[in-house]
Amino acid sequence: MRKKRFLTLTDLLVGSFLLLVCLFFVYRVKVGLNYNWAWDSIPQFIFRFDKENNEWVSGILMTGFYTTIRLSFWGIILATVFGVISGIAKTSSILFLRWLATTYVETMRNLPPLVIIFIAYFFVGDQLLAPLGIDDWAETFSPASQNILAIVFAKPGYLTSFFAALMTLAIFEGAYITEIVRAGIESIDKGQWEASHALGLTWYQQMRHIILPQTFQRIMPPMAGQFISLIKDSSIVSVISIQELCFQGIELMTSTLHTIEIWTVVTLMYLALTLPCSLLVERLETRLNLSLR
Amino acid sequence: MTEKKFGDYIINVDNICKTFPNGVKALCNFSTNIRRAEVVVVIGPSGSGKSTFLRCLNGLEEIDSGSIIFDGIPLDDDKNNRLKIRREMGMVFQSFNLFPHMTVLENVTLAQQLVRKSSASVAKSVSMELLEKVGIEDKVASYPAQLSGGQQQRVAIARALALKPKVMLFDEATSALDPEMIGEVLDVMKTLANEGMTMICVTHELGFAREVSDWVIFMDEGRIIEGGTAEHFFSDPKEERTKGFLNQIL
Ligand SMILES: Nc1ncnc2c1ncn2[C@@H]1O[C@H](COP(=O)(O)OP(=O)(O)O)[C@@H](O)[C@H]1O
Ligand SMILES: [Mg+2]
Repeated sequence: MRKKRFLTLTDLLVGSFLLLVCLFFVYRVKVGLNYNWAWDSIPQFIFRFDKENNEWVSGILMTGFYTTIRLSFWGIILATVFGVISGIAKTSSILFLRWLATTYVETMRNLPPLVIIFIAYFFVGDQLLAPLGIDDWAETFSPASQNILAIVFAKPGYLTSFFAALMTLAIFEGAYITEIVRAGIESIDKGQWEASHALGLTWYQQMRHIILPQTFQRIMPPMAGQFISLIKDSSIVSVISIQELCFQGIELMTSTLHTIEIWTVVTLMYLALTLPCSLLVERLETRLNLSLR
Repeated sequence: MTEKKFGDYIINVDNICKTFPNGVKALCNFSTNIRRAEVVVVIGPSGSGKSTFLRCLNGLEEIDSGSIIFDGIPLDDDKNNRLKIRREMGMVFQSFNLFPHMTVLENVTLAQQLVRKSSASVAKSVSMELLEKVGIEDKVASYPAQLSGGQQQRVAIARALALKPKVMLFDEATSALDPEMIGEVLDVMKTLANEGMTMICVTHELGFAREVSDWVIFMDEGRIIEGGTAEHFFSDPKEERTKGFLNQIL
């Protein structure tokens, strides 16, 4: 069915109603709310001019934004790796692998994310990563490589907690990706397995050349949706003091009390990350529909 | 028909049984031997186990008992043997099962490169030759979805031939096709038969069976009811069930 592109009477009615609601909201804020507006103090939290070094530097919110981007970027890659591996395990003919992947998925899906964050963070961070001494090791790098490290992951001194948070996020989101991948693999026609089996392909070759390429094509839209969730969920690691966008917002809010201004900026920054993904999903979906016609 | 020279037995099927987990007995004490260059047509009512027989031959289904020996290699638990046998048998399915994410050419080259380790150029020239043979040479860059059913099935035959199999299995290769496309696929199959390919064809095309088959098997309820040369089989069937079935579909 083609979507209508012109406005109908209903659209106009709904539109004007929404406009009224907005006007009322603005009116309440203007008249009813006893609030000290301080928009002019906000820009310094985004970019500010450092007089000592005579250069522009990122403000607190901007550095939080960078950390959120870093977490999301690596999180998407790692969660996809976890999800694909355990999604394949879930469709395996080996009972033990299926059982292992199911346990993983069910644990992640049946616990509140906060609980997972605390358990995984302290286990991964203190037991697995801390003994590796990543931070001490990074301190010995040249300043140039330390800089690169800071751009790609985090500054020396923050690396262990960054990786722990990253792993936690990836493990958590990987569980949902597992289900997407499993459903995708199972949606591939049985005939594809049989035809490639008859050609004498090994299981690995079947997966690599026949099943997974078709699966990825098919699961692109739900995967992109999950990536958006991951970007949003990256805010939960603020509870373990990772200085991402939400953490910085909370810090600023308690110290300045400019609640509305700060969270408006934070909102816009999240939207700057998630909206392009959403648009991408829409594009992918129309392309997929076209190719299926 | 000119007399064909048959070789030794290439497939020995001895007393195999197949029961599905849901309790359906698809094959019971099924035995048959197939010689090189022989064209065997298998007919029988729906659900009689024809597909299961073909699928057991190339290991898509496991047999419960009995034995299958292919060209001296037993189809047993040995993974390597199973792989070897699959690679010597081409199979063509009712629903084509082409790989939709690959072009026609890629469909035919893939297994040559993965299984036979052919170089890209060799695989391509072999593929082009085969695609020419089945009359698809002008569609090599198309995707399966852009082809008609008859064209897809001819590509599927080329794909199965690409590994130079010793035996070709056809499971109702023309049943999913519109009537006007059946002929083009049957023509390819006839050409293959005349070139001396060993073929086992499950089909309802009795004209094809009469014309090219060396042996016709009638199956019902997982058993061979009757087998014979096309001549004898169609003009003078022995069993009541065979007569009934032939009357039904003629
Ligand atoms: N995977 C399966 N699981 C359970 N029963 C099956 C399966 N495949 C086939 N069958 C049953 O086995 C019998 C033989 O099937 P099949 O070999 O496909 O018959 P045909 O190809 O002659 O129509 C049928 O009764 C069918 O329902
Ligand atoms: Mg069948």
